[in-house]
Amino acid sequence: MTLDNLVKIRELKQESPNQQEFDALVKAGSERLEDAKNPSLSYSSRFDLSYNASHSLALAALRAAGYRSDKRYQVFQCLAHTTNLNRATIRMFALCHDKRNLAEYEGHFEEDEALLRQLIKSCVALEKAVRKISF
Amino acid sequence: MLIGDALFSKSRQKVLTLLFGKPDQCFYTNEIVRWAKVGTGSVQRELERLVDAGLLLRTKTGNQNHYQANSTAPIFNELVAIVKKTFGISQPITEALQLLDARLTLVFIYGSVAKGSEIASSDIDIMLVGNDLEYGEVVACLEPVEEMLNRPINPTLYAPKDFNQRLAQGNHFLSRVMNQPRLMIKGVIDDIG
Repeated sequence: MTLDNLVKIRELKQESPNQQEFDALVKAGSERLEDAKNPSLSYSSRFDLSYNASHSLALAALRAAGYRSDKRYQVFQCLAHTTNLNRATIRMFALCHDKRNLAEYEGHFEEDEALLRQLIKSCVALEKAVRKISF
Repeated sequence: MLIGDALFSKSRQKVLTLLFGKPDQCFYTNEIVRWAKVGTGSVQRELERLVDAGLLLRTKTGNQNHYQANSTAPIFNELVAIVKKTFGISQPITEALQLLDARLTLVFIYGSVAKGSEIASSDIDIMLVGNDLEYGEVVACLEPVEEMLNRPINPTLYAPKDFNQRLAQGNHFLSRVMNQPRLMIKGVIDDIG
């Protein structure tokens, strides 16, 4: 589905990009990502940090494209349109979003080092892609 | 020889995968033809046969025919299960994971699809136990199947030693999974739980 179609079904809102907001989102994303790499932090903190870093960076990409959404899942899905990331990388964010919800709402806490490792890897790729964006 | 191929022609498998893979959903002819990627003629022949046999319901809306699995057919549940266990879900997943096969010891589907309580949009929850598995490669392998079935596939990975250890410790999530119906893709689970 195109971004404009998502606007029609009210999953996205149109809003002109703003350099200051974009820079702040990228900064917040990058800082969280750096902290997420710190092995002395607990698993849950590192997961939260890398998940939220991914969300900030994905939102930066969406805002740069001229849209906004308060639906996290959608912000990740839109990466297919707002960046040149491959589908598997984008799918990882959706998967982590689901796993995060399972932890937050269903009490399913599982320390999954492989998941964290992959999320950080995907987030690094996302940061690289977002830093190339100019508008 | 694959079980599905021994039982049904390719085009019938395609039609059954869509209609009995998502039995709560209704499809119109063009949608089925587009999805099946086999000839229009053969899809229409299959639909005709399945309607005649009472396995599919056909309703006419305007000049469009809509088809849906007939849940009152005497072998409805069995067909849903056959589709799931063969060409509908199990085979495409097995094929997609071929690349990782040497490292996989146990693969099974759990959750709503294994329980039979899924709806058309339900995720497929899949557990993979194996050595040195990475989410990136698993997600990349499964991605074409997700697209084909138009359903998200959510993998959970464990190394064999972690899997056994957590089972032994009575891990809440794993115990819950092990007490539910499973659709085995690879390996055998000794009577655990």
